[in-house]
Amino acid sequence: MDNDILLKIEGLEARTEDKEILKGVDLTVRRGEVHVIMGPNGAGKSTLSSVLAGKPQYIVTAGKVTFLGQDLLSMSPEERSWAGIFLSFQYPVEIPGVTITNFIKTAVNSRREARGEAPLSAGAFLKLMKEKMELVQMKQEFARREVNVGFSGGEKKRNEIFQMAMLDPVLSILDETDSGLDVDALRIVAQGVNTLKTPEKAAIVITHYQRLLDYIVPDIVHVLKDGRIVRTAGKELVAQIEEQGYDSIN
Amino acid sequence: MTGKDENGILRSGTRDKVLYVIGEETENLPFVKTAEGFRVIAAGGAGRHIVLEGNAEAEIMALVLPGTGETNLDFNVEMAGAGAVCRLFGIYLCPENERLRINVNLTHSQGQCSSYQSFRGIVGGTARVEFNGRIVVCQDACKTEAYQENQSLLLSDEARVDTSPQLEIYADDVKCSHGAAVGRLDENEQFYMRSRGIPEREAKVLQMISFLSPVLDFLPEGRDRDALAGMVEQTIRNRF
Ligand SMILES: Nc1ncnc2c1ncn2[C@@H]1O[C@H](COP(=O)(O)OP(=O)(O)OP(=O)(O)O)[C@@H](O)[C@H]1O
Ligand SMILES: [Mg+2]
Repeated sequence: MDNDILLKIEGLEARTEDKEILKGVDLTVRRGEVHVIMGPNGAGKSTLSSVLAGKPQYIVTAGKVTFLGQDLLSMSPEERSWAGIFLSFQYPVEIPGVTITNFIKTAVNSRREARGEAPLSAGAFLKLMKEKMELVQMKQEFARREVNVGFSGGEKKRNEIFQMAMLDPVLSILDETDSGLDVDALRIVAQGVNTLKTPEKAAIVITHYQRLLDYIVPDIVHVLKDGRIVRTAGKELVAQIEEQGYDSIN
Repeated sequence: MTGKDENGILRSGTRDKVLYVIGEETENLPFVKTAEGFRVIAAGGAGRHIVLEGNAEAEIMALVLPGTGETNLDFNVEMAGAGAVCRLFGIYLCPENERLRINVNLTHSQGQCSSYQSFRGIVGGTARVEFNGRIVVCQDACKTEAYQENQSLLLSDEARVDTSPQLEIYADDVKCSHGAAVGRLDENEQFYMRSRGIPEREAKVLQMISFLSPVLDFLPEGRDRDALAGMVEQTIRNRF
C-alpha cells in the first residue's frame, strides 16, 4: 500500500442518460503532485471533474475511485467535500438570495459539524474570511453580494479560489479556472493555488492554455481525448500540444 | 367568503398596516404576541374590502402557515383618491394537503395611485394553491402604477398551483406589469452548495428561504420583519 496515494481512478466509465462520455479513465494522484489535464473541447474533462465531485446527473457504469483509501463513488457530494475534495467549477453557479458570507459560513460550519467540531465564532469566521478575500484580492463588499449573481467571468473564478482557500482542501480540481482571466487575475489565482501547494496536498488542473503553467508548474501532464487518457508525460508535453495541437496525440 | 371579514375606508392621508397570520394556534406564537399590527386568524380564511382615499397608504401582508386545510384569502381593494398607495404581500407555506385560494381584486378608479403586489409560496405534498389576481385600471385613472407578481415553488409531483393574473386597462399613460411563474428547486444550485460541504437538506432550506426573501424585503427593516423572517425560516425547517 502506497501511503502517498490520494486519489486512484481505475477504469472509470460514466454517461448521461443518452451519451457515453468517459470510456475508461485511469489516473493516480499522489500527495504533493500537480497534475494537468488538457484535451479538446467535449473530451470529457469537466465530466470527469463532476463525477469526482459527485454530480448526480452522471451515471457511473464501470470502474472504481478511491480517495484516501475510501470508496469515493459511494459518498455524497457533501461527504466528498468534508473528506477534502474541492472542485473549482468551469461555470460557477449563481445562487440568488444567498450572500457569499452566509454561503461560505454555512459551508465551513457544516464541515465542522460533520467532523464533530463546534461552529466557528462570529469573530473567528470574519477574520478568516477577510484574510482569504485579501489573498485573492477580492473586495470586502463582495461578502454581502449574492453568490455569483451579476459577477463578471473573472470575479466568478476569483470567488472559486476564495472558497477553495476557505475550505483548505486536500485535493483541488481546477476546471479551467484560468479561462477568462486578465493577466493580473491570473497571477492572483495562481498565487492562491500555490499557497495551497504543500507536500500533503495535490491538485488537478484542467486548462487549455500554457500561460497558467508559467505560474503553476505541473509534475504530470495528461491528454484526455474522447473519454480516455491517451497520453501521460512531463511538462514538456504542454509545449508540444501548443505547437502541434491534439491531432498528433493519440 | 368564509371566516373573518373586515371592511373599511382608509380616510385621506391616513396609514394602515396589517399583518394577517393564518394558521392553527397562531395566537400563541411568540412573535405574534409581541409585534404590532398583527391580526391573527386561526384558520379558515380572511377577507378584506378596503377603499383608499387620497394619499392614504395601506400595507397588508398575509402569511399562510401549514396545516390550514381549506383557506380563502380575499382582498378587494379600491384606489379611490389620488396619491393613494397600497402594498399587498403574501407568503404561503403549504407542505401537506392544504387548499388555498387567493383572490385579489384591485381597482384603480382614480389616477396617480400606486399598487404593489407580491405573492410567493412553497407548495408540496398534495397541496393546491389557486391565485386569481385581477387589476382593473379605470378610464380616469391616468398615471397609475400597478405591479403584481406571483411565484411558487413546487416540491412534489402531486402539488399544484394555478395562477391567473388578469390585467384590464382602460386608461392611457399607466405603468403596469405582472408576472407569474411556477418553478422547482434548481439542482445545479444544490450540487454547487453540496460540493462545498453544505448538506443536501440545508441546501434546500437555503434555496427556499432565498426564494421567499424578496417578499420580506418589501417590508420596512426592523424588529417585525426580523421576527417574521425568523418564523418563516423555522416553518421551512420544521415542516418542509
Ligand atoms: N449533462 C449533460 N447532458 C448531455 N451531454 C453532456 C452533459 N455533460 C456533458 N455532456 C457532453 O459530454 C461531452 C463532454 O463534455 P465535457 O463538458 O466533459 O467536455 P470538456 O472536455 O470539459 O470540454 P471543454 O473543453 O469545452 O470544457 C460533450 O459532448 C458534452 O456535450
Ligand atoms: Mg469543460
